[in-house]
Amino acid sequence: MPVYTSDALILRTYKLGEADRIVVFLTRDRGKKRGVAKGARRARSRFIGTLEPLTRAGVAYYERELRDLVRINYVEPQSSPLAAIGRVHSDAAALGHSAYFAELIDEWAPEAHADERLYRLGASVIDALAGGAPVPRLARYFEFWLLRLQGVYPQLSSCPGCGGAFDGGAVMPPRDSHYLCRRCVPAGGGTTLSIDALRFLRSAAASAPEALESVSLDAAAGRELETAHRRLIQVHLEKELKSARVLREINHGLHGSYGSHGSA
Amino acid sequence: MARPDPLTKLIEQLQRLPGIGAKSAQRLAFHVLKTPREEVERLADAMREVKDRVTYCSVCSNITDTDPCYYCTHPGRDARVICVVEEPENVAAIEKTRDFHGLYHVLMGALSPLHGVGPDDLKIKGLLTRVGNGGVEEVILATNPNVEGEATAIYLAKLLKPLGVRVTRIAMGVPVGSDLEYADEFTMHKAMEGRREV
Ligand SMILES: [Zn+2]
Ligand SMILES: [Zn+2]
Repeated sequence: MPVYTSDALILRTYKLGEADRIVVFLTRDRGKKRGVAKGARRARSRFIGTLEPLTRAGVAYYERELRDLVRINYVEPQSSPLAAIGRVHSDAAALGHSAYFAELIDEWAPEAHADERLYRLGASVIDALAGGAPVPRLARYFEFWLLRLQGVYPQLSSCPGCGGAFDGGAVMPPRDSHYLCRRCVPAGGGTTLSIDALRFLRSAAASAPEALESVSLDAAAGRELETAHRRLIQVHLEKELKSARVLREINHGLHGSYGSHGSA
Repeated sequence: MARPDPLTKLIEQLQRLPGIGAKSAQRLAFHVLKTPREEVERLADAMREVKDRVTYCSVCSNITDTDPCYYCTHPGRDARVICVVEEPENVAAIEKTRDFHGLYHVLMGALSPLHGVGPDDLKIKGLLTRVGNGGVEEVILATNPNVEGEATAIYLAKLLKPLGVRVTRIAMGVPVGSDLEYADEFTMHKAMEGRREV
């Protein structure tokens, strides 16, 4: 039974049997793995506090011949979303975002081979979140980079319609997944990106996540990017993420009038 | 294909239970086969009865065989304090400490974005109605000390505080990241005693 130790990101866990957990994690060097953490749900388990989604950790595991599930020996957390608990500004949406980031990585992480750039993006976002980075900006940054690394982020250098600059903002037409300049867009519909939103993307392309504190993004531009990115993710994954829907419900519950909305 | 014999059928059914694999199911099935008939019937009756008689309390969502439940109707319980927990098992854990005399509210889970569990999937509206009806002075948030439990507690605190009630969170003496279902009496007692206003 070969033993591996690897830097890894914990992506999600499932209950298994009476006291165990199945853990899905992305290793830096050997791609995404599924493993069993024996006794992880017992009160005095060595895994307590180490398996929260979006924990960055050193993981030791055994590969077993002819089995898909590896056996997890230990998990040594280096950065955990638990760090956000008890912080003055922690809020339900911030804690919920760790699940959203984990689900996005899980959806895009390859099973069989390593994707070091995805690992590094995930790790840097985990550290930024644990360090108290502004959550909405971090989310838009993460989506932008994730889609870029997959090579599916729309062209930002110039309008693919006319080759001109995006000097007056951009629009993603209703059934397309690219940005066009305002001159090229047939009237009506689509998702608009203001000059502010485009400026944020250009800064994001050149910044580390821990520098987001100094990159501005006002609420309106943030909503534009949120909508555009949601559409792009839906096009490429062909579904909406569970965590994205739950985050929206949480926000709605906190900022809408709770109880007066239908359960859609 | 041949019709499955009764033993195979039993093994199949047992295997659907949580924590029961193929080997355990087979072992249990042979055990049932060797057990006297009356004993097997008592087990079958108990299973049928639990489905017939045990339901969820319409006030607090705890499991009960009368509705409203024992806690919601007992005159000795302090209706000014409500302790909010994730699962019915947590009620038993807090009762074992013997130092809580208020009422309960069972959410039937916690906010869990990765498993698609949002506010509308939990018994939150019922809690807000109970508090909104007046007479409640303190709500203790005793959800699990992990990311999901904490997110749920913060979410509830935001909705409850505008209703003019004192909202407290159990102390995190329990190792952070754990599940209260497995906490012992002493840990639970410390967690309740050390609760702080949020
Ligand atoms: Zn153009
Ligand atoms: Zn009740």
